[in-house]
Amino acid sequence: MGAYAFSALIFAMVALAGWQISRRVAWWRLGAPAEVAWGRGLLALPRRYLVDVHHVVARDPYASRMHAVVAGGLVAASILTALAVLPPLGGSRLYWAIVALAFSVTVIGSLLVGARRYPRKPAKLSAGRFQILPFLLLAYAVGGLISAALLAWGGASAATLLPALALAAAGGLGLAYEVRRGPMRHAFAGALHLVAHPRPGRFEGRPDTALAPLDLDAPKLGAETPADLAWNRLLSYDSCIQCGRCETACPAFAAGQPLNPKRLIQDLVAGLTGDEASYAGSPYPNARPVADDTPPLARLIGEDARIHPDTLWACTTCRACVEECPMMIEHVDAIVSLRRHQTMELGLPPEKAAEPLAELRGAGEAGGRALSARTDFAAGLDLPLISVRGEADVLLWLGDGAYDLRYGRTLRALVRLMRDAGVDFAVLGAEERDTGDLARRLGDEASFQDLARKNVETLNRYRFNRIITADPHALHALRNEYRPFGGDWTVVHHTVFLLELVEAGKLAPGRLAGLSVTYHDPCYLGRYNGETEAPRALLDLIGVERREMARSGKRAMCCGGGGGAPVSDVAGERRIPDIRMGQAMETGAQVVAVACPTCTAMLEGVTGVRPEVKDVAELVLAAMETPR
Amino acid sequence: MKIVVLLSAGLHPVSGQSILPKVEAQALRLALALGEARGRHAGPTAFPASDALGHGLPHLVHVEIPAEADPVPALVATLEADQPDLILAGRRGQGGDETGLAPYAVASRLGMALVSDAIAVERGEADGTVIVHQALPKGARRRLVVRLPAVVTVHPDAPAPRAFAYGVARRGIVETRLAPPGLPAAERLEERPYRRRPKLMRSAPACGSASERLAAAMGATSSGVANVMVNPTPEEAARAILAHLRAIGVLPPKAA
Ligand code: SF4
Ligand code: SF4
Repeated sequence: MGAYAFSALIFAMVALAGWQISRRVAWWRLGAPAEVAWGRGLLALPRRYLVDVHHVVARDPYASRMHAVVAGGLVAASILTALAVLPPLGGSRLYWAIVALAFSVTVIGSLLVGARRYPRKPAKLSAGRFQILPFLLLAYAVGGLISAALLAWGGASAATLLPALALAAAGGLGLAYEVRRGPMRHAFAGALHLVAHPRPGRFEGRPDTALAPLDLDAPKLGAETPADLAWNRLLSYDSCIQCGRCETACPAFAAGQPLNPKRLIQDLVAGLTGDEASYAGSPYPNARPVADDTPPLARLIGEDARIHPDTLWACTTCRACVEECPMMIEHVDAIVSLRRHQTMELGLPPEKAAEPLAELRGAGEAGGRALSARTDFAAGLDLPLISVRGEADVLLWLGDGAYDLRYGRTLRALVRLMRDAGVDFAVLGAEERDTGDLARRLGDEASFQDLARKNVETLNRYRFNRIITADPHALHALRNEYRPFGGDWTVVHHTVFLLELVEAGKLAPGRLAGLSVTYHDPCYLGRYNGETEAPRALLDLIGVERREMARSGKRAMCCGGGGGAPVSDVAGERRIPDIRMGQAMETGAQVVAVACPTCTAMLEGVTGVRPEVKDVAELVLAAMETPR
Repeated sequence: MKIVVLLSAGLHPVSGQSILPKVEAQALRLALALGEARGRHAGPTAFPASDALGHGLPHLVHVEIPAEADPVPALVATLEADQPDLILAGRRGQGGDETGLAPYAVASRLGMALVSDAIAVERGEADGTVIVHQALPKGARRRLVVRLPAVVTVHPDAPAPRAFAYGVARRGIVETRLAPPGLPAAERLEERPYRRRPKLMRSAPACGSASERLAAAMGATSSGVANVMVNPTPEEAARAILAHLRAIGVLPPKAA
């Protein structure tokens, strides 16, 4: 009898959880339609969970072990208990001993969960319902353990079993109830999110990071309310476990700007249903005043809405949050959708961004400068124009860094190295327009698409084998984001190209012995395109002492220059490049090696005594001038 | 109040692409702050004046005329029909061979007053008036009460235009009208080779310091001296004018 009551508890929990989930599903269905490859997603689920999710979770070894023990114990114990409805199992004392074992694992897991939050909760974790979670887990696990143990030893009587079952029921039903609004929501939403993930390419080993083109004839451009986001995006926000890993990684949060990706995701969740438990994690730093109370499904962005525009514009689109999120949530996509609405439907880009956006439309260049002036940096270098030559092995894409005096030095170094190696190359000259990266990140998709079409048209007029660029933003646009507009080329970053030239023996740099260098990964090269090794290999080849910052490679911190953040210029307490330079200085290196015009400009802008900032190409050129 | 903003086909000063001149987008912002406004463009196509739709203009009237035609008669004819109270325009043309005189020509043919270089326009206290804040040289400002109807040209120091928004532009309406028949053909401009002309020097005053004489010879007004009086009493103003007329020798010096 007791055995049946016990397994009945599990069925009651499943029923309650199912009811709670169905209430949640109704909300997701309010979202915009999305195409989901269900079959492929379902088949891939185990792999996505065990490999991809685990890969991220394992970066925090304690959390990883804790989760394995508590989730493994919980699921195993519950399934085993449910199976006890089968008479041969329910009547077997050995079986109950096994169940007791599973529950004792759950007890250990629950204690681990509790130990992370008590006596002191780390700042990145949320309080509120999350602080109750260890008690619910413990009640269920301890109640279950005692019940199973009593059944195993045959000492079960109503008097002994009832209190234990009551304890298990309190915890278990509590957990099931929490599936709708509390921490346990992440389990169901997370699993479904892995199946219906909007960027399945992430799990197939390719960096699926290009923004999706927006249909400019859609009745509403961008997302105004949560219902304008696709339903599987709403589902993904529900899977957030409020672990705060994104918050710790976010450069805008660290700089005291009013952005916290975790809070942002929770605002999207709360903006949907209106009955969400109040948020109990760290706030937006220096939060700007917004409306106290907003109805569900209302406009999300505005000084009189849920999220202040400054929050939206503080993001550098660095993807650090996405990289760290164990639930594989795509924060940047959400931010760009919301920005598209602000810019294209309301005409409210950040105040200082209006001018560069207007110049992009009027002059094809964010500074309103003459396109022919792009090659001014190369005065005396005699850059060959592809319009004169008609074809070349390599097309060198200069990017908007070419207008910058400091970055001109880097490009001169690159051009000289290519000359030394006898590369057959040419530039577009006055035919090169801005890639539209800035416009796109600022939500002006119309200008981006216009520039993309014009650039694709220009490039497809010429014959070349590869495009080389020193600008990772241009690289990302040309390689990944121009594809839907007919751009299909091999695009190579200059560090990869230089490495190739050195390895082929076409460049024979000497060794800069005695120089210590730390390399700062550009977000658009490392995280967006997964390229972190070529610049390091080059640095090793020229014999410098390479030191790594605590955050490097795909987990590097942003310089603060992406996503239009420098033109949005949202006030904070510190500057992002100052923080990053501080991290570089901790290594004690004499030089910070960069590989991006934006990083160069941001890090060169750091005042005070600091290491020199040099592009990898400049270092290689310097090594060419020293003996081997 | 019926407001019309004159919009032209400008060229980007660097790239030469067709764009809506920025100062006209600024004029549009002033107009929209006052109330409902319509745009008016005379030219072969609505673009690039139609960019004003993206800056918040709900309705553009495009009067279709041939590329080589003078836009002024077409503008005057349609404006006479519409009878606007206030016409806003940019302070200078930005379209290659434009003269920049269209607002003046329109004002003169419609018999309206023209106030140049506005940086702000508000409704006046009395009905049928507006208050225009005018930008004067050297950063000086002047506040004028203007009786409507009037043409007001806008200065680049006016507030920055509203950002262009693609979605807003989609919602705007372009109404194309054929130019009224029988418009006079554009005056053909005569082209002549450039001829240097002797620079006319104002006769330098015999007195004063060397720098004063130099400044006078170069036609500069006396810099550094305040020549703007804010809200003077009629007596003060009259005295100032008399003093000035005496100083430049129009009136005889005050009898001692
Ligand atoms: S969004 Fe992802 S990383 Fe951020 S708190 Fe939620 S689960 Fe954690
Ligand atoms: S993309 Fe970067 S700046 Fe934006 S929210 Fe994520 S971590 Fe923060």
